[in-house]
This record gives sequence, C-alpha cells and structure tokens, in this order.
Amino acid sequence: MSDIITVRNLVEVYSDGTKAVDDISFSVQEGEFFGFLGPNGAGKSTTIKILTTLLRKTSGTVTVAGYDVVKQAADIRKIIGVQSQETTVDGDLTGRENITLQGHFHQMNTDDIKKRVNELLSLVGLEEAADRRGRNYSGGMKKRLDLATALVHKPKILFLDEPTTGLDPQSRAAIWSYLEKLNKEEDITIFLTTQYLEEADKLCKRLSIIDAGKIVASGSPIELKRQIGADSIRISLENCQKDGPNAKELIKTMTDVTEIIDSEECLTVYAKNAGLLIADIVRALDSSGIRIASVTFSSPSLDDVFMKHTGRRIRAEDYVKAPSTMGGRFGGRR
Amino acid sequence: MTLLSDTRYIFIRYLTKLVRTPILLFFSLFQPLLFLLLFTQLLGRLSSFPGILPVGVSYLSFATAGIVMMNAFGSALQSGNSIVADIDSGFLQKMLVTPVNRPAILLGRLSSDAFRVVLQTAIILVLAYALGAHVTTGVVGILLIFFTLAFFGLAWSGISLAIGMKTRSSETVFAIGGVITFPLLFLSPALFPISFLPKWVGDVSMFNPVSYCVTATRALMINGYQWSTILPAWGVIGLVAVITMSATLYQFRKVVS
Repeated sequence: MSDIITVRNLVEVYSDGTKAVDDISFSVQEGEFFGFLGPNGAGKSTTIKILTTLLRKTSGTVTVAGYDVVKQAADIRKIIGVQSQETTVDGDLTGRENITLQGHFHQMNTDDIKKRVNELLSLVGLEEAADRRGRNYSGGMKKRLDLATALVHKPKILFLDEPTTGLDPQSRAAIWSYLEKLNKEEDITIFLTTQYLEEADKLCKRLSIIDAGKIVASGSPIELKRQIGADSIRISLENCQKDGPNAKELIKTMTDVTEIIDSEECLTVYAKNAGLLIADIVRALDSSGIRIASVTFSSPSLDDVFMKHTGRRIRAEDYVKAPSTMGGRFGGRR
Repeated sequence: MTLLSDTRYIFIRYLTKLVRTPILLFFSLFQPLLFLLLFTQLLGRLSSFPGILPVGVSYLSFATAGIVMMNAFGSALQSGNSIVADIDSGFLQKMLVTPVNRPAILLGRLSSDAFRVVLQTAIILVLAYALGAHVTTGVVGILLIFFTLAFFGLAWSGISLAIGMKTRSSETVFAIGGVITFPLLFLSPALFPISFLPKWVGDVSMFNPVSYCVTATRALMINGYQWSTILPAWGVIGLVAVITMSATLYQFRKVVS
C-alpha cells in the first residue's frame, strides 16, 4: 500500500520561540489506523493543525494524499474530515442542521446531503435526538455529532484530535466502535492523537509515541511492547518505608530480574518470565517477615514503552466523572 | 459560485441562531425602545418652545431618526461578539478545514447583521408610528431609511469585527462599543437639534459621521427626499466602510491563514 501522508523533518516554532514540533518524520499508509500517543503539550495538536491546513509549518515537507500542505491546501480540504479537540457543535442548530451545514460547506447537493445525514445519524446513534438543538446534547452526544459532521463528505482521511478526551468510559467505547467500523468498512484512513494508552493500544495498527515535540518510538503496539522485553511485577508492602529497601535487596539477587525500581505502589520489578518469579518473590519476602499487601503482574504496556523512552509515565487527564445520566440523556447546558 | 451559495448558508445559520434566541433581539432593542417610549416623553415638551424644533414637528418624530440610528449602532457593535464566539468555540476553525469560500464567512456574517438592523428598525418604526411619528416619504422612503441604516450598520460592524478578531475577547468588544457609541451619538444631532446644542458640540458634530447619517434619516422621515443631505451621508458611510472593512479584512486574513 502507498503512503497517504508523508511528513519529513517537520518543525513548528511558535512566535514566542516555543518549539512545538521538533524535526519529526513519519508516514501513514492508505487505509491505515495510525496514532500519535503522547501527553498534553507533546505537539500532537500542532501536528494535526499543520496536516489539516490550519497552521503554517515553520519548515519541512508535508504531503497529504499527494498534495502539498501549503501550495495545495484547497485540494486537501476537499478530502479530509477533521474533529478537533474542542467539540464544535453549534448549540443553536439541531443535530441534523449541524451535519447539513457541513455538507453545504463541502458543496454537496441537497439530495446527497439529506441521504448522507440520515446515514450518519444512524451510524452515531443520534436518530432520535436529530431534531433537538445541539446545546441540549450530553457531552458524549456532542462528540458523536461532531464526528458525524466530519464525515458528511465521505473523506478519504479522517483526523481526530483526542476524540474521547473528557468522555465517560461508556461514551468512549461507543466512539471506539464507530471508528473501527469506519476504518474497516468505509476504508477511511484514520489519523488519531490520544493521551490514553488503552485507546492507542486498542485502535491503532501503528503509532508513534511523541514527547516534547519529538517522536521517541514508532511501530505497532505489539512491536513497541516487545521492545521492552520484560514483564513487570508491581509489589506493594504493608510497610513500604520500613521493608522496602530490604525487599529490594532480596529481589535484586534473583535470576531473570532485569531491573527493580521504586514506584508508586512500592516496588516494580522488570523480569523475563515474571510469572514464574512471583512465587519466588512471595516466598523470599515471607520468610524474611516482610508482609505483602498486594502483587500485580502485567505484560508490558504502552505506558512502559513511554516510560522507557522518556523516563516518565503518561499522565492522562482523568475521565470526567460524569453523573450516570450523561451516557445518553441530556446533560443540560455546558 | 461558491461565494454566493456559501454566503447564503452562513447567513441562514446566523439568522437561525437569532430567531432561536429571541432574547438577544429583546436585549439589543431594549435601549432604543427605552429612548423611544420614555426619553421622548421626558423631552416631549421641547416642541412647545418655539425655535428649537422645526415648526409642526413633535419631539417624538424628531428623535425617532436618532433612535433608529442608536439601534443600528448597537446591533452592529454586537457583530464582533459573534466572531469571537465562533473563534472560541472552534467553529471558525471547523469551517476553515472545509473548502468553504473564505470571503463568504465574512459576507454571511455581514449580511445577517444588515438583516438584523433592518428588522429592528422596522420594529422601532412600527412602534413610533403607533405613537404618532410618520415617515413622510412613505414606503420608498422607508426602504431608503432601511438602506441607509443597514449600510451604516455594515460600516460599523467592521469596527467590532476587527476588534473581535484582534483581541478575541467579547468583553473588549462590548467595552469599546460602549465607549464609542454614546459620545458619537451625543456629539451629533441624533437626539437634539444642533441649534439647541452648545456651539462647540455643533462644530465637533461636523466631523462626526453619525451626524450625516442621522440627518439623512431625519430628512427622509420629516422633510422628504432631500438629496443634498442624503447623498453626502451615503458618501460618508461609504468612506467609513472602506476604512473599517479594510481593518476587518486585514484581521480576517490573519485569522484565516
């Protein structure tokens, strides 16, 4: 398959001197579900704004569907759909009117728009709410409507800037299933940015991890996790302050342990075949009179990958702790 | 032509927003109506003093021209808020990633502003008529009044749009709007005849574009087709429009690129 997005040595320096994007290169293949994973302020939105012709790059080459992002911006706008980080729904217009208006902006004819609007309303499950005003929609419904407006002209490429940030888990799962459907059934190339590990892991066929304007790692989620090469065992002790150092000494000498670090729970042990090691650890700590509060075992996650490359964990903004009515009912004015 | 069709869609969007939040219409009509219903009562006896108002003209008839002017001012200065709202909500950006015709974004807004000025002027004129103020030039005169005020409104929309795009703050648009409106109205014959005002105000009013516009509107209401007042007023409005629209276009280019 051929590349539909190519980015070479892209740099974006803001007028205040901040280097938001620092010499990144990557490409996305046609039909691919590609993602940028990184914390707030990593340069994800900046990159999307450049790719979607909203922001002028400082230097580098960027092409989308073969069109130059500066010289052929008008051609690009015809074939892309964009959902920005802020949910942009006109609250005074109904759901149907919001989508219809976007159809007009894409110079579609009225009959096509009507048909497409109905398709989209059913795709995102908003048929019932279609003729209510946007301002009465819940947060999740607004996001779904926003997604629908980005799809009205059947774009070849869909850009999604943190499409589920601030959503409750239920709404998030719904968005995920629409996106997978779009990618598989309508063959849309999707470029997504996210700060959620599970989101990147679940949706993206390939992703780049971005931090402080630089790409620190790229590959499929499986490849990236394989690079870590070790499972992790997180141990929390009843009295971490007192027993922590002793426990660390005891575990350090065991075979297969590649690394042991102090972590939030108390200790995190990286090891090959960690599953087999758990019994040894428990036995050793027990016989030294160190009381264990809990032991969790996990295969490498994208968080570990991020940790390995940046020394930090991704701290995603917490889910909005929405009242349970937010799922499908009306959340009132924002 | 995508310019025309896109302008139409954006015009319809703003109109829909206006119709669905009638409270906005109420608030922007509140002040002119207060003047029409109350202020004209307070000063109603002006017409009984000889030499202040033209013979046979009630203060209500005289002030109505100034009040529709005040109204055009008010709604034009709200225009900038709508663009600030669209920038803040991300809606402008959402438009800009589509192939929508760029100038249509401005034209759609401006045409809805003009429509709103005409609508509000019509409401005020109907009420004024009910109170006893007639437009002597009849239907054609009313249409010319609409034209003059809509044109004036567009010229002033330019100021608030430019400020809105520059500062991206609706507070600033409101503050500056408030600061400009009243001095310009009071330093013109909008509410009082020039002969009644101190000499320096009369002198200053010669340089106030509002004076020309209000005099032309008043001529159409009270005196008839005085082209020697109407045409210069259009010229002055045109001049203001060129300046404010240049500022708006300049800011718009910066926002769009």
